[in-house]
Amino acid sequence: MGEAIVVEDLAKTYRVKKRIRFLKSHIEVVEALRGISFKVRYGEVVGLLGPNGAGKTTTIKILATLLLPDRGEALIDGYSVVKEPNKVRERIGIMLTVEKGFYGKLSGRENLEYFAALYGLEPRRARERINYLVKLLELDKLGADYKLFEEYSLGMKARLSLARALLRDAPVLLLDEPTLGLDPPSARKIRDLVKDLARKEGKAILYTTHNMFEAEMVCDRILLINKGTIVAEGTPEELKSRVPMLKVVNLVVRGNKKVRGLIADYNVKYEVKTEASDLHTIRVYVEKPEEILGDLLKKFVRNGYDIVSIRVEEPTLEDVFIYFSREA
Amino acid sequence: MSFYSILRAEYKLVYSEMIRRRSALIAMILYPYLFAGFTLFFGYTMGSAEIFSRRIGVDPVIFMITASYTVMSVLASVDDVLWRPLSDTFIGTLPYIIASPVSRLKLYLAIPIPRLTALIVMGFTSIIPVYTAYYGLEGLLSGLVVMGLITLGCLTMITLAMVIAGLVHTIGESWRVLNIVRPLVMILLGAYYPRIYMPLIGYVLSSLIPSSHIVEVIHNMLRGELSNFYILIALAIALAVLYAPGGNKSILYWEKKKVREGVKTD
Repeated sequence: MGEAIVVEDLAKTYRVKKRIRFLKSHIEVVEALRGISFKVRYGEVVGLLGPNGAGKTTTIKILATLLLPDRGEALIDGYSVVKEPNKVRERIGIMLTVEKGFYGKLSGRENLEYFAALYGLEPRRARERINYLVKLLELDKLGADYKLFEEYSLGMKARLSLARALLRDAPVLLLDEPTLGLDPPSARKIRDLVKDLARKEGKAILYTTHNMFEAEMVCDRILLINKGTIVAEGTPEELKSRVPMLKVVNLVVRGNKKVRGLIADYNVKYEVKTEASDLHTIRVYVEKPEEILGDLLKKFVRNGYDIVSIRVEEPTLEDVFIYFSREA
Repeated sequence: MSFYSILRAEYKLVYSEMIRRRSALIAMILYPYLFAGFTLFFGYTMGSAEIFSRRIGVDPVIFMITASYTVMSVLASVDDVLWRPLSDTFIGTLPYIIASPVSRLKLYLAIPIPRLTALIVMGFTSIIPVYTAYYGLEGLLSGLVVMGLITLGCLTMITLAMVIAGLVHTIGESWRVLNIVRPLVMILLGAYYPRIYMPLIGYVLSSLIPSSHIVEVIHNMLRGELSNFYILIALAIALAVLYAPGGNKSILYWEKKKVREGVKTD
């Protein structure tokens, strides 16, 4: 299978005007992308995984010809997003924000008919395609033929949005957080469909998410992106195996003092989440847990903490992400 | 990508909105009467119908209902083009339109036609009854000719509206500017205030507006003159054709600016 998306050294900087006082503002420079490179092959779902502000949407926008990069090149199906945007537009299906992007006073089917005309589908072909998609996404059962878009639930809006992305049967799909805020059945439906589109129809799919579980479920390969840089790349299994020898000690303690000071002495990577002000969940990444565990527990007890639970785990994709982000 | 498909889609979009928003439909039917009534009320309060007829050469009722219907139709077609980028931004459909390969010229030419069709049909509830009441069968025929001329006037405005839309939206804070553009077009059109009475600068600016020539044809016709009939119509069409490349470029320039900044997707 050939390469559907080729991204080389893509960079984008935003200049944002920040108001600091009444009538006083300054320009803040935000480096959204710092020269990322990656490829997506036909028949493959590649996840762009990262926290908010990592550069996922900026990447999708550039590939969708909705934003110009400052540097670098991106090719879709062999066409440059900068030099040949109209060729690119004929070859992509996009799904951006789920809640918006349709005309409220039109039904789902009417909206799809409208966009089919904009995409240049002949009326007969458009009708056939819409019938197929409405069935595929089970929009017919939800009343897409008569219910107005403004009356749709978020799940239904997401399905309709995916239907629009698939209208042209484009070889490349760019899906920006397609399951954000959806109920579990709708999210599962979309995930299953995305997988099928790649496997059965050979589409190249770039799928952004910040949901680790979802990335692991859907994607053949994952690009971990943080602060505009791809920090790691590989299949979910490869990524996990690239955090070699590491185990995760999951420790839950109760106490009012500062936890971080106690762990800092060990020179290990760790994450602390505090709930209800005195309940702390600490995840410590170590090669040999037995070497520090006894000492660490003693230290917590000595400092007046109650040990609520302790577990040694294999790293999850989330741990992998935290590990690589810290490395970067 | 055929113009017919785009036009069909626009018809569906506009009529679905119109039928499902009844208040807008009722307002559209009532507008020419309300506006004509309003201007006539002030006219009769402050001036004399006879002086008006002597100066303009047309009965004030006929003149005002025709002017209101003309302004409503022309402004609606201009508004559809001018405000569409803003409404698409607000609704969130703009990224999908920009990321579509649709010809911008075809799209923007199609945008005002559906509402325009409805407005022209509204002529049967506004100018036709009044004309018929005043002039009988001859009035009915004149009304139909006026409706045809106004249709042409509206169509010739689309390309100029595209030029303005691209420029205004490129500047930013465009809704403020649009609120100034609208009354300017309304005055310079010469429907309420015939351009022969305008100061020179007004007359020159008015001459650059394609449909102002059609308005002059209508005024001449109401006065019973048919001088320069074809010349004025040809002038309006020529101006519209002349503005077409500029209109397309203007819209594409605005889109390019949007893409440079990044089209908002949330």
